[in-house]
Amino acid sequence: MASLGTIFPRDARTQAQMDALLRAEGIRRDKNLDYSCGVFDEDGALIAAGSSFKNTLRCLAVSSEHRGEGLMNQVVSHLLERQTEQGNSHVFLYTKAKNDRIFRDLGFYEIARVEGELVFMENRRDGFARYLKGLAATRREGKCAAIVMNANPFTRGHRHLVERAAAENDALHLFLLSEEAGPIPFAVRKRLVREGVADLPNVILHDSGPYIISSATFPSYFLRDEDAAILAHAKLDLCVFGKIAAAIGVTARYAGEEKSSHVTALYNETMAAELPRQGLEFRQIPRLALDGETVSASAVRQAIHDGELEKAAFMLPESSLRYFTSAEASGVIAAIRAMDEAKHY
Amino acid sequence: MEIKKPAIAGTLESSDAQVAVEPADSGIELYLESSVMNQYGRQIKATVLETLERLGVENARVTVVDKGALDCTIKARVECAVFRSCDASAANVPWGGAVR
Repeated sequence: MASLGTIFPRDARTQAQMDALLRAEGIRRDKNLDYSCGVFDEDGALIAAGSSFKNTLRCLAVSSEHRGEGLMNQVVSHLLERQTEQGNSHVFLYTKAKNDRIFRDLGFYEIARVEGELVFMENRRDGFARYLKGLAATRREGKCAAIVMNANPFTRGHRHLVERAAAENDALHLFLLSEEAGPIPFAVRKRLVREGVADLPNVILHDSGPYIISSATFPSYFLRDEDAAILAHAKLDLCVFGKIAAAIGVTARYAGEEKSSHVTALYNETMAAELPRQGLEFRQIPRLALDGETVSASAVRQAIHDGELEKAAFMLPESSLRYFTSAEASGVIAAIRAMDEAKHY
Repeated sequence: MEIKKPAIAGTLESSDAQVAVEPADSGIELYLESSVMNQYGRQIKATVLETLERLGVENARVTVVDKGALDCTIKARVECAVFRSCDASAANVPWGGAVR
């Protein structure tokens, strides 16, 4: 009788078995997994495995000799139970493009697919549709553009980009990454953006939610991974974005040029290639330079990290600067100073 | 009974059903997926709603992924998910009844 068990990170023997199984089934092993489990046969051989990272299921595989035994059902049941224990009721998964049927039978619904590569699914029938419906309510007439930003924190560079896009379009949908990733809390990032664009009436601010650059669509944005993974995630993210753009009538996406962050540079490259394919314009705007120095949120964090708030100050608009010089920010500043790496990789 | 947190019961294995309940504000939202939808979809739906009513659940988002479970299994899974969602599953589980 086969049995299901946890695969612990330090259990090198079983980890090796999982690697071998994934390789045999042609599935890339994600670098960042926070839980794995597997089904073992009587002899202790691993015949099915599945893992999760936050609220996504991934690296799901059944040995080709054991297809049709309902092993994936066991693995997914177990992973879902564990997700619920952790309070995640909205769960996502990736699978190879040809395997989506298996997961449709397990109560998952397609959000987007990168043709021939992978399918991105969620366990809510109306999850994405409801999100799009909510967005569609903010649809504006005329030429609309979108920007997705982390604004970690909101700098004069962001302001420069937003101003430019807002001037060139009738409306600008600004999506702010709502994933908590770093010492500056989302609520603060959002407040600084809202204050920083308050005088631009045609800017509509949105939370990015689980469908744009989230740890579900784009885990390698937040945690170091290899280029192949970043490219795959970026492509998927843009597939989802294409549907969002269609729902709100966005025809162009703006982004700042990227020189320092590897992952953002790759993302920009992917946008330049993929967005025109979806009929969307991609506009890369040169970074704002002040006194010969390029403004970026990374540089601001680095300056704060190094204890040179004055150096950060000139890159920040008034609203952001007011926050960082207030008593409220002391905890955040201490957290940035305590980071090993203040820049985005 | 009030659904206080997301909870899940059952599995996706053959002859079982996986029932997930989540808090909601306005009535019962039921999402049913079944391998025998054409034959028994209506029956399953009725069983789920009846069980929820007996438990006094008025507001919930309920997702059922059925793999050909018998009625008694579906009832038990729904009860279990509801009890778990309001921390009534640790002791003195009132199987077959409602918590008063």
